[in-house]
Amino acid sequence: MFNNGDNKRHKVIAISPNGPTGNGDEVEARFLAPHFESDGFPWLQIFGYVGSLLLTIAALLAVVDHILPAFGLLVVILVLAVGQAALQLGIFMHLRESRGSTWHIVTLGLGIVIAIGLVGMSMWIMTFKSGVS
Amino acid sequence: MNLPVEPDSTAKLPLEFTDNHESLKILGFWSFLATDLLLFASLFAVYAVYQSRVGMQGPSPDQLFKLGPAVVETLLLLTSSFTCGLAVYQMRRNHKRGTIIWLAVTLLLGVGFVTTEVREFVSYIAMGDSWHHSAFLSAFFTLVGTHGAHVTFGILWAITLIIQLMGRGLTTVTTRKMYMFALYWHFLDIIWVFIFTVVYLSGKI
Amino acid sequence: MSSLLALLFPPSTTRNMELSADVLIILASAAIIFYLTRWHRWKYLWREWLTTVDHKKIGIMYLIAAVTMLFRGGTDALLLRAQLAVPNNHLLGPLHYDEIFTTHGTIMIFFMAMPLIFAMFNIAIPLMIGSRDVAFPRLNAISFWLFAFAAFLFNISFVIGGSPNAGWTAYPPLTELAFNPGVGQNYYLMALVVTGLGTTATGINFLVTILRMRAPGMTLMRMPMFAWTTLVTSVLILFAFPPLTVAMVLTLFDRLFGTAFFTIGRGGMPMMYVNLFWLFGHPEVYILVLPSFGIFSEVVATFSRKKLFGYSTMVYSVLAITFLSYGTWVHHFFTMGAGAAVNVFFGLSTILIAIPTGIKIFNWIFTMWNGRIKMTVAMMWALAFIPTFVVGGATGVMLGAVPGDYQFHNSYFLIAHFHNVIIGGTVFGLMSGVYYWWPKVTGRLLNERQGKWAFWLFFLGFWLTFMPQYALGFMGMTRRMYTYSHGFGWSSLNLISTIGAFVMGAGFVVMVYNFVWSQIHGEIDVTGDPWNGRTLEWSTPSPAPEYNFARIPVVTDRDAWWAMKQEQKTNVVQIKPQEITDIELPKSSGIPFLMGLSFFVFSVGMVFSWWWIAGAGFLGFVVCMLVGTFDYDDHKEVPRQEIQNTESAFGRLQG
Repeated sequence: MFNNGDNKRHKVIAISPNGPTGNGDEVEARFLAPHFESDGFPWLQIFGYVGSLLLTIAALLAVVDHILPAFGLLVVILVLAVGQAALQLGIFMHLRESRGSTWHIVTLGLGIVIAIGLVGMSMWIMTFKSGVS
Repeated sequence: MNLPVEPDSTAKLPLEFTDNHESLKILGFWSFLATDLLLFASLFAVYAVYQSRVGMQGPSPDQLFKLGPAVVETLLLLTSSFTCGLAVYQMRRNHKRGTIIWLAVTLLLGVGFVTTEVREFVSYIAMGDSWHHSAFLSAFFTLVGTHGAHVTFGILWAITLIIQLMGRGLTTVTTRKMYMFALYWHFLDIIWVFIFTVVYLSGKI
Repeated sequence: MSSLLALLFPPSTTRNMELSADVLIILASAAIIFYLTRWHRWKYLWREWLTTVDHKKIGIMYLIAAVTMLFRGGTDALLLRAQLAVPNNHLLGPLHYDEIFTTHGTIMIFFMAMPLIFAMFNIAIPLMIGSRDVAFPRLNAISFWLFAFAAFLFNISFVIGGSPNAGWTAYPPLTELAFNPGVGQNYYLMALVVTGLGTTATGINFLVTILRMRAPGMTLMRMPMFAWTTLVTSVLILFAFPPLTVAMVLTLFDRLFGTAFFTIGRGGMPMMYVNLFWLFGHPEVYILVLPSFGIFSEVVATFSRKKLFGYSTMVYSVLAITFLSYGTWVHHFFTMGAGAAVNVFFGLSTILIAIPTGIKIFNWIFTMWNGRIKMTVAMMWALAFIPTFVVGGATGVMLGAVPGDYQFHNSYFLIAHFHNVIIGGTVFGLMSGVYYWWPKVTGRLLNERQGKWAFWLFFLGFWLTFMPQYALGFMGMTRRMYTYSHGFGWSSLNLISTIGAFVMGAGFVVMVYNFVWSQIHGEIDVTGDPWNGRTLEWSTPSPAPEYNFARIPVVTDRDAWWAMKQEQKTNVVQIKPQEITDIELPKSSGIPFLMGLSFFVFSVGMVFSWWWIAGAGFLGFVVCMLVGTFDYDDHKEVPRQEIQNTESAFGRLQG
């Protein structure tokens, strides 16, 4: 599938010509190996859609019926939201697909860690509003 | 000289990954999504802190929100995410018409989402609850409005994409653009799920 | 009409200093326009520079812009020090003083240090990793023009509309409309948002470039250290700039649309701004200093003729610094009173960062150990960095101890500390990089004797300026103090500090003279490898051709070029005609420049609340995006023959 024009451009490869050197590139070579999803009937997409609908309805019903005390409820709906995000990422966004190595998973993972830290820590820092004043 | 070769598993690449240079843009776009995630995280942090700061007499989240429009918006966006997934599925099977049709359906559902959201905003403002009123309202309109602006941008992007798909068919460039658009659209869906949870549902707890 | 004039030229912009600046700007612009027209250079300027997407040229433009901004920020600094030289001085009025320290800080961080760092990225990184360009050349040009127009926007505030005056951190409620009427603060907010967008794009660009465009065989652990620090700096940029953008935009909403984010009356909290600002601000400190760490690693290894000591510990400590730097931002506002638990957590994380940083310092020292050290100007800057940064780092640990911070906070001790790390770390590093890579960019070596003069003046001036300030801090002098009276015992120390500042200014002047002189009379670098370098950029001719490498080198070792020289395998340089193929390169485009211009127009509209102009600017942006997305003709092909000709002109063709 490679067109010949490709070699005028830059070859994208970061793996040592003599195999991994043991200096960290074995991570790139094995752990971050490319992967593509196969096509059949779009069962996966339908599963993702139905799954996300069910999770939404579950969260909605949980809140409307107040099945738990406030804090527990908050935890439950946040967990359901994380489940939905995982469905979107895994099924619709083809998270594991890449050419070469899957660096975007590392980037996104770091982004998620920092995003959670940002929100959580900011709330923690800002709680002095009720404590002190 | 012993030149390294590309791994065998790239022999059967989907079209959008075949061109080296175009495939770089997909990684670049993932990085963009990571910064965009942090943008929304900052807005979520502001909202989470300001949620209870409703000013002197301003409405609290519980008093303000009606779950009806929020649920409609959620359903529209979830469905559009599904149809966008189908568009990519059709693209992978090299069906140009299917791709364009599902993309158009996605676009229309997106328009439905934005319209519902605008009507929701207008109804709040009509009651006198505009973003001048309290820190909570400012944070609410900014967080949800930023997401809405992203969706609006996505709709414009989808229009240019449909034009390019119709004119050029499925090439390495157009499929790469379609793939990136799909990433963007699903990402906005994820953000919306958290808005629905953190803003609307937790407001009703 | 008169109200428009009052808006454009409020009293704060009609003082003598501003008027003379006006006249100077008009004269300089007239001179430039005359020169360009007289020598028919408009077309050349547009074709070769304004529309270029070549990373080397973009690097040069960043460099020129950064030196210009260093001049502006340095002039501000000298004005501040002149005002503080003696007690009860009235060289500047209090408002004027506020404006000057605001623009000094903002320009130095955002419009001097950042572009100088990007100049280094652009000049060195693609060549170092054996690539023909960055991943997204057009985006790279967009980044530059967003920065350039934002810098322009920020600088015209001085003469049109009024300068921002709330400090470079711009804390509310001082920045709220009620306390800060006029447009000055709007300039600050818009300029930072626009340049922040450009910076984020640069981060994405270099992240992808380094992850995916390395030469074959250059594994992560074979990358030059500067490539590593650029990689983690890009990641830091990616995650640090969104909170800044949010903080700026929310303040702008408060000012322009009357929202209630940071106004206390309607439930807002100024502290939330402080939190968001430093969520950006602390990683920013490492964005500034990590590239310099990379430059030192290259320079020290090259001029010690040894490979970098403890390469892998260097890598791991850089990664540790990156990660830890996200967990320390509260140490900028311990005194806000977030509570003991919060302060202890962030105090500890702050002090933890000293460990990986200390490891790096030892590694540089051990690299020099037993090396054959060559005392070039680049090496001198690197050597000067070590003691300077150690002092800055140690005082940083003092500030990180929470009870101590309650004493030192906002005093001149703090001022001395952060100038110690930012000048001693960032500026020394970037100067080292400028002297190191200058021949690669321009093809001429900088004069070493003049460079040493500039170095000694700047270095001694630096210690003279900032060491007294530590003492002044202990003696109770607080920052942003407009003047002081006799009898505090501050007078002589302040005078010494001012003298030091002017010595630094003299160093800057000598340096600029050095640049200009060397460009005309400097020794020409014929080999492309004037320092007997270790990394791939020295395998290309100076300046490198547009395509960088006629044939992409294959890397088998760390310090790839050094290894090739050791094994007599420098056939990267000597290439056979039949090995040359056509090369595809990105095509120049006017879109980046026009996009920057659109953002400028949009920003002017926002600053003055002229919505029609803002709308026009936004429309320009949309048009640029549309033209860009339908433009499939963004590559050109350099034919074989042309490359052969270029290479044989360099004398690099075999047979």
